Amino acid sequence: MAKVSVLNVAVLENPSPFHSPFRFEISFECSEALADDLEWKIIYVGSAESEEFDQILDSVLVGPVPAGRHMFVFQADAPNPSLIPETDAVGVTVVLITCTYHGQEFIRVGYYVNNEYLNPELRENPPMKPDFSQRNILASNPRVTRFHINWDNNMDRLEAIETQDPSLGCGLPLNCTPIKGLGLPGCIPGLLPENSMDCI
Amino acid sequence: MKLLKPTWVNHNGKPIFSVDIHPDGTKFATGGQGQDSGKVVIWNMSPVLQEDDEKDENIPKMLCQMDNHLACVNCVRWSNSGMYLASGGDDKLIMVWKRATYIGPSTVFGSSGKLANVEQWRCVSILRNHSGDVMDVAWSPHDAWLASCSVDNTVVIWNAVKFPEILATLRGHSGLVKGLTWDPVGKYIASQADDRSLKVWRTLDWQLETSITKPFDECGGTTHVLRLSWSPDGHYLVSAHAMNNSGPTAQIIEREGWKTNMDFVGHRKAVTVVKFNPKIFKKKQKNGSSAKPSCPYCCCAVGSKDRSLSVWLTCLKRPLVVIHELFDKSIMDISWTLNGLGILVCSMDGSVAFLDFSQDELGDPLSEEEKSRIHQSTYGKSLAIMTEAQLSTAVIENPEMLKYQRRQQQQQLDQKSAATREMGSATSVAGVVNGESLEDIRKNLLKKQVETRTADGRRRITPLCIAQLDTGSPQLLPLDSSTPNSFGASKPCTEPVVAASARPAGDSVNKDSMNATSTPAALSPSVLTTPSKIEPMKAFDSRFTERSKATPGAPALTSMTPTAVERLKEQNLVKELRPRDLLESSSDSDEKVPLAKASSLSKRKLELEVETVEKKKKGRPRKDSRLMPVSLSVQSPAALTAEKEAMCLSAPALALKLPIPSPQRAFTLQVSSDPSMYIEVENEVTVVGGVKLSRLKCNREGKEWETVLTSRILTAAGSCDVVCVACEKRMLSVFSTCGRRLLSPILLPSPISTLHCTGSYVMALTAAATLSVWDVHRQVVVVKEESLHSILAGSDMTVSQILLTQHGIPVMNLSDGKAYCFNPSLSTWNLVSDKQDSLAQCADFRSSLPSQDAMLCSGPLAIIQGRTSNSGRQAARLFSVPHVVQQETTLAYLENQVAAALTLQSSHEYRHWLLVYARYLVNEGFEYRLREICKDLLGPVHYSTGSQWESTVVGLRKRELLKELLPVIGQNLRFQRLFTECQEQLDILRDK
Repeated sequence: MAKVSVLNVAVLENPSPFHSPFRFEISFECSEALADDLEWKIIYVGSAESEEFDQILDSVLVGPVPAGRHMFVFQADAPNPSLIPETDAVGVTVVLITCTYHGQEFIRVGYYVNNEYLNPELRENPPMKPDFSQRNILASNPRVTRFHINWDNNMDRLEAIETQDPSLGCGLPLNCTPIKGLGLPGCIPGLLPENSMDCI
Repeated sequence: MKLLKPTWVNHNGKPIFSVDIHPDGTKFATGGQGQDSGKVVIWNMSPVLQEDDEKDENIPKMLCQMDNHLACVNCVRWSNSGMYLASGGDDKLIMVWKRATYIGPSTVFGSSGKLANVEQWRCVSILRNHSGDVMDVAWSPHDAWLASCSVDNTVVIWNAVKFPEILATLRGHSGLVKGLTWDPVGKYIASQADDRSLKVWRTLDWQLETSITKPFDECGGTTHVLRLSWSPDGHYLVSAHAMNNSGPTAQIIEREGWKTNMDFVGHRKAVTVVKFNPKIFKKKQKNGSSAKPSCPYCCCAVGSKDRSLSVWLTCLKRPLVVIHELFDKSIMDISWTLNGLGILVCSMDGSVAFLDFSQDELGDPLSEEEKSRIHQSTYGKSLAIMTEAQLSTAVIENPEMLKYQRRQQQQQLDQKSAATREMGSATSVAGVVNGESLEDIRKNLLKKQVETRTADGRRRITPLCIAQLDTGSPQLLPLDSSTPNSFGASKPCTEPVVAASARPAGDSVNKDSMNATSTPAALSPSVLTTPSKIEPMKAFDSRFTERSKATPGAPALTSMTPTAVERLKEQNLVKELRPRDLLESSSDSDEKVPLAKASSLSKRKLELEVETVEKKKKGRPRKDSRLMPVSLSVQSPAALTAEKEAMCLSAPALALKLPIPSPQRAFTLQVSSDPSMYIEVENEVTVVGGVKLSRLKCNREGKEWETVLTSRILTAAGSCDVVCVACEKRMLSVFSTCGRRLLSPILLPSPISTLHCTGSYVMALTAAATLSVWDVHRQVVVVKEESLHSILAGSDMTVSQILLTQHGIPVMNLSDGKAYCFNPSLSTWNLVSDKQDSLAQCADFRSSLPSQDAMLCSGPLAIIQGRTSNSGRQAARLFSVPHVVQQETTLAYLENQVAAALTLQSSHEYRHWLLVYARYLVNEGFEYRLREICKDLLGPVHYSTGSQWESTVVGLRKRELLKELLPVIGQNLRFQRLFTECQEQLDILRDK
């Protein structure tokens, strides 16, 4: 079982102008003290069509994490509009909050984000060159995906891999492509989600 | 009978594989499939039982749901105490849950329901060992063990007191193991598997008792589960899916000889689950009908793949009731309420049914007392020898007794109220950290939170701790052995501990949803509904679940922080240290740990009562190794060779000859380390004029004295009161601690072999195997030239250890494990300990031990016996021997112990064993012996000159002992008369 479970993510200052920073107040619970920091990331999906346009808005280490309930505010700058395809500037996209421990992602919280014009006129006739105006995060409907990772040290991880049922790897409900560019082949098996939970 | 299908008990249409009612009857758990995970839900029972409660919206129906299992949950089971819930699932894990009292309701973040958990159940242990789906779990009676079975063909027995320790893995099934049941008295556990066998295992040694295959030979096809059940009286074991004449049955297996002559017939498809009613019943006495008591009977519910449920009474040939088509799919699990009148049944179709019986239908349930009497008569010592319920039915005849009972209750109440007070104070500060409400904190969190930069320039936020965890009982605390001190580690970071309020989560959710509802326009239906836009939505969907690819994490992937390494090291150290510590303090005579090397602490403890002289071929733990070759192998010369053996018979026993220490130039002897005291001997120091003298030097805490003797010193010994040396020419000299000669030299009858002192007692063992003990201060003989012949005769035994107690009682530990002490008043050698004593192996008085610390009662007896009896106790606990035999052996063993402590005049140990003995007598209800003890301790109340009664025993006042015994006696209401008598007479004596 995960040592860290996210209790709540509150979206602060929502809706807000496009250029204002993202602010999430994250509360989580840790069942036993962690030896290392958690790494949290906010990823802004520029375009649904391609990962090329993903922007990591920020990544931050959180620690030390003793057993207990904790909270912090994760603030990240708004995405760089120049990196977003013009066709995707207005409309629905996604912002992801991920958390990794020892480089293994164990939770992913996704929110739909709706970028739109406040001005009804602009809504009717959007300008050719998109002008980023208001961002509205659909805070009431987070999509939470949890991944089973190894929380223990290296030795344990090897054992865990050995005891894993090989059949588990194939019958995954998830679309999990090999991890590119991570440069650490040793941890790939540990990163494969054994199972996931999508609660919507 | 009433039947109800509470539709609100569901897993959103997903199958429910298991159901279990909490022992207190207020809630029940279901386990099964959740959304992409396993799911455990805890439900409120009252809306099932009462229609009003069902309608009342203020009464919650769901109390808690846990989505932590990664795959379908196959089994949920409450511990007998109701404190824990165990769940096992397809993720190969068993999780043990405990209710956390410190936090209020919360939601599972991201779950659609937004339903608050009314109760918080926290996973306190995860048990990983199975390599396949866990199919069934079962708590043993009294919650000592938890068993789990799996499709990996094994059954694992976990130590429920010390998770995640595994006590045994039962291998033998060649198919998926799908059901488990414990024998109600804890002697066996039975498992049923797809390999067409049912196996019964002994809990004594976790070996196979029997494997039953015949009724299962015809079994084809598989069922999801095979939940078998043992009847509450222990007589019958009923299997799930069996076949008889190609019809599906539930096989009845008799405990007596594991006979399989009967079965429950009638289901059209395989039986998936059998569950006995926890109660034993007897016929309802009807007015006017014959009053003769009928035989007690059991009640059993059988569920099948044919979607029907049947309920049987063992006194009827036909089922009491059969309900067809109760569900759309196979029945998966059944649970009875503890009062035996209701059952919950769950099905693969995801629904649950509740059946409510009346006593007219089932009969009168026997009380726990009657049940325990049945157990006791069948199996001896029952699991509950004196239950609370039994106590409450007995009439208290004596106000003193009543007072005593009241006091006990008051104490319990005090403890409880203290606990609630603590909780109360905890809740009063709920939502406040350092005097600030959580709301305030949240407002300023961004400003206040500590943000630093790591060495590589990354942002690092220190999260604000808003609540600490109470992980419940310390035994269950370690979730994972890798961080045993997580609790300690958690403390430094937080300021005053605060219980989190229920509000933050709920509040923010509300707010969020309000936000969402207030901006429906912003969500512009046009955007969401336009077909062209649906495409990207799908694309997003995958993005939600996909792993982050673009974002390489921190480079420190696998490196452990130094602290972690440190912690691991510490742990190892601790692990290494533990056993050694134990060995040292136990000072088991088998253990070749030299005393001098023992930790100073334990050494000090030992020296309180006795000083030991270790005799080993390996050598003594003395500073000077030259003193070494004193192997005390006392051998009748005949035993040396086979030829001489014949001679041995004729050879007189006087031939016993002990080794003599050879003269040495010089040696040093450490008497004690705290206070530090050592003796130095230098032989044949040439003094002026060619006169050769021997010098004896003694250093005690820096103070030194020395003296000279005219002959060579062979051996020396010392205690805090005296120093003595044995010289050539059989001379023995004794000095005070300041070096003053106390006696003119004693002439020994033969050369010295071993010399030893404790307190003011000096013991000399001569080469002719005679033993003498003198009290130097009082200048009297305690033991006069007693021959060791009687204890050493005949065989080639050696003396492995010699002790002299504080009271001057010599004890010889022999190489065959026996230990004898010499009783000066009787002039006899008494056997005080025997390693091969079979009594010690069978005795079980664990329940009578006062507490853990008192078990560590130290004294000469403990030193002689070591801690050998543990294994025996362990075995006996598991009812290895018939109860009557066990009782007898336990009594005999305890009496031996009391007598041995008395012989050794070890008052502390005498008191300890007397109390254990008395407690055992009380627990097992031996009135005569108990009465005799009380009588002896009390003595004559009215003074008479002819009385032989001694008011003290080994320095303890007998009446004080009796006062200590009284609360023990008071624990069993059966002895209230005795309690009253003693109490009154003691009062009379006090008033005199």
